Amino acid sequence: MLSRIAESLFWLSRYIERAEYTARILDVNFHTLLEQSRDRYRLRWEPLIVMAGEEERFRRIYDEANARAVFEFLAFSPDNPSSIMQCIAKARENARTIRDCISREMWEDLNGLYFQVNRFNPAEEMEAGPHRFCDAIRFGSHRFHGVTDATLPHDEGWEFLRVGWFIERAEMTARLVDVQYHALYDAPPEIGGSDNHQWMAVLKSVGAYEAYHKKYHSSIDPEKVAEMLIMHPLHPRSIRFSMTEVQSGLRAISGTGSGSYANEAERLTGKVLERLRYDRIHEIFNLGLHSYLNDMLKMCGSIGEDIARSYFYYAVVA
Amino acid sequence: MGTPGFETPTLLKSRFENYWLNGSYDEMFESEGVPRPQYRALYEMLLSLPVEEMRRRKQTADISFLHQGITFTVYGREEGTERIFPNDLLPRILTSSEWGTIERGLTQRITALNLFLRDIYHEGRSLKAGVVPSELVYSCRHFRRQMREFTVPKNIYISVVGSDLVRLPDGSFAVLEDNLRVPSGVSYMLTSRTVMKRVFPELFRMAGVRSIDHYSETLLATLRALAPEGRPEPNIVLLTPGVFNSAYFEHAFLARQMGIELVEGRDLIVDGGIVYMKTIHGLTRVDVIYRRVDDEFLDSLTFRRDSVLGVPGLMGAYRAGNVALANAVGNGVADDKAIYAYVPTFIRYYLGEDPILRSVDTYLCSKRDDLAYVLEHLSELVVKAVGESGGYGMLMGPTADRARIEEFDRQIRADPRNYIAQPVVPLSRVPSYDPALECIAGRHVDLRPYCLYDGENVTIVPGGLTRVALQADSLVVNSSQGGGSKDTWILRGED
Repeated sequence: MLSRIAESLFWLSRYIERAEYTARILDVNFHTLLEQSRDRYRLRWEPLIVMAGEEERFRRIYDEANARAVFEFLAFSPDNPSSIMQCIAKARENARTIRDCISREMWEDLNGLYFQVNRFNPAEEMEAGPHRFCDAIRFGSHRFHGVTDATLPHDEGWEFLRVGWFIERAEMTARLVDVQYHALYDAPPEIGGSDNHQWMAVLKSVGAYEAYHKKYHSSIDPEKVAEMLIMHPLHPRSIRFSMTEVQSGLRAISGTGSGSYANEAERLTGKVLERLRYDRIHEIFNLGLHSYLNDMLKMCGSIGEDIARSYFYYAVVA
Repeated sequence: MGTPGFETPTLLKSRFENYWLNGSYDEMFESEGVPRPQYRALYEMLLSLPVEEMRRRKQTADISFLHQGITFTVYGREEGTERIFPNDLLPRILTSSEWGTIERGLTQRITALNLFLRDIYHEGRSLKAGVVPSELVYSCRHFRRQMREFTVPKNIYISVVGSDLVRLPDGSFAVLEDNLRVPSGVSYMLTSRTVMKRVFPELFRMAGVRSIDHYSETLLATLRALAPEGRPEPNIVLLTPGVFNSAYFEHAFLARQMGIELVEGRDLIVDGGIVYMKTIHGLTRVDVIYRRVDDEFLDSLTFRRDSVLGVPGLMGAYRAGNVALANAVGNGVADDKAIYAYVPTFIRYYLGEDPILRSVDTYLCSKRDDLAYVLEHLSELVVKAVGESGGYGMLMGPTADRARIEEFDRQIRADPRNYIAQPVVPLSRVPSYDPALECIAGRHVDLRPYCLYDGENVTIVPGGLTRVALQADSLVVNSSQGGGSKDTWILRGED
């Protein structure tokens, strides 16, 4: 498989996942806040911008992180390279250049999604609230993955889609947990630790609210929420689950068996997974959740870089 | 009132009421209301097919084209650059003897053109003998000095050809243009056949139409024949300028049909005189490149330095014999419109045969007498810039306004070598379905058959791209100017 094609597939699914994740968080945050008092707004909207890693750009455009501004910035803004619209456009552009390597159904589906989201009128949607828009993105992403799974041969190309998809998800979940803890623990007690609504929102945004109750049979406990999102072996949005998918994707590409690794990306993925498997949540908290997740994000970054080094880029011949 | 959607025979006859014969050769009718034998089945079917049914078949065809994504790109627009290639519902039909002449004529012509290219880049026999003026060859913009004294694999310069033929008022075919560089359009020929089989299955059976399905396989075999020695399992790739190129659909289509990799310049790298493609498992050697990138853009070390579409060092690898290119570099000199005038002469010179296909009379502005005549008669002639194709740099004298004629007058005087002129050729006409008027009318057409040359044989799949001027009386068949395509049927023997 050509490196260019592999790289486009990798980024294609990363962008779709980023769009979906952003949509989920926006939607849930908005609806949780409908039942909360006004003074908490800033505390609730700012973390989303932090999570996207776009504080600086955001501040250059807006004075205040309110629902409208954050929604516009994360969903529609052409100035935000990670806005949902930008992600969908970039996913489509990646697909367009490799049209002959993906199934026709995939192209048609993604193209349809692109035109669908472009028909939304930002002004109208901001009036109506993010639900309709975010729902379309979420549904579009699910459909695209379904179409991909059902129509593309599960060969190397499919594996690159899978790796891109799950490395993005692992990073997004790590950021979500990190930012929410940061925001909630630094907040005054009446907003912070005891505020179960916000933790419910976190669970809902990754679609894990019901799964949480099924597993823990208890009320919302921030430590357990973190445990669930970081190390649950089977919940499809946990970091551990995502990294397991990344690992099997990478191994399928290189043909490496378990217990060994073919490149730095595989070595680091294995290392991350060891920790996710054998650490306990209270150990993590003792060490400091923030630095733990930060480590994890750094490793994910290195994994991405090494995938590019191993498979996409060729040094220029002098 | 009769059954809905079913009309009386008198009304059906009216489907041809907008059809009249003029000075052009009419391929369907030999005289008013009398169809030629090869068109009789189609004629009768058209008379008996209710209007409703025609409409339905037209819709079926259109949807089929849309879903297959058969598009071409219109330059200069940001969104929606892709357009569906308009397709005419009715097939164009040629008999096996008509086709036989075309086949023999093109085989002869391609053989001679290939000999000509080999000659001018080596000994230059024909130039020394005065068969072709050497200044015409050396002044050609597409002459590549890098190709001198270089022996291309198996001496094949022209692997893929798409020659444009027209049919003159007496019914004979003439060559209007040779496309020896990167001829396109073959994907339209192949896909429009697929669609037509769905739309007129009954007619196919009745008429006895020859298949064109083997084009991609023959192309692959043609490319394989170029592989360097000692490469029994050659890696063949198709080099495209990329997704923004107007023929990208075709590049992807052909690569898929042949099961070869579709690559861009940035996917390839030259190291130690060998071309490799960059794959996720390392560099893989490339043996044959079916390139759909123009000469000028192939190698920024040799040709245009600003080109990012090609592969730096490619010409070195080519000249070292480590990679084959199809078509060869430097072919443009042989499809130069001024050289065109000499093709009949060098067919006689190289092959000792009379040309089977006619050429259109051509005035070379580089000749003093011709120049004087052309400048006198600009409003009657078609003037063409010699190195251009696709309808660019052209003056249609009879329909041009004064300003345009004066503009050409200036340009021709400034650079006579760059222009030729020809009389207006009254292209032949074939029946065409007008979906707006729901009637059948005569429209002008040309024909581009696709020829493959492997050094021993010229293979021409029995068919071609018939381009049709969908506007009444228009002689311009280019897709960028409102032209469409028609499926071209070559009938099996015994006519």
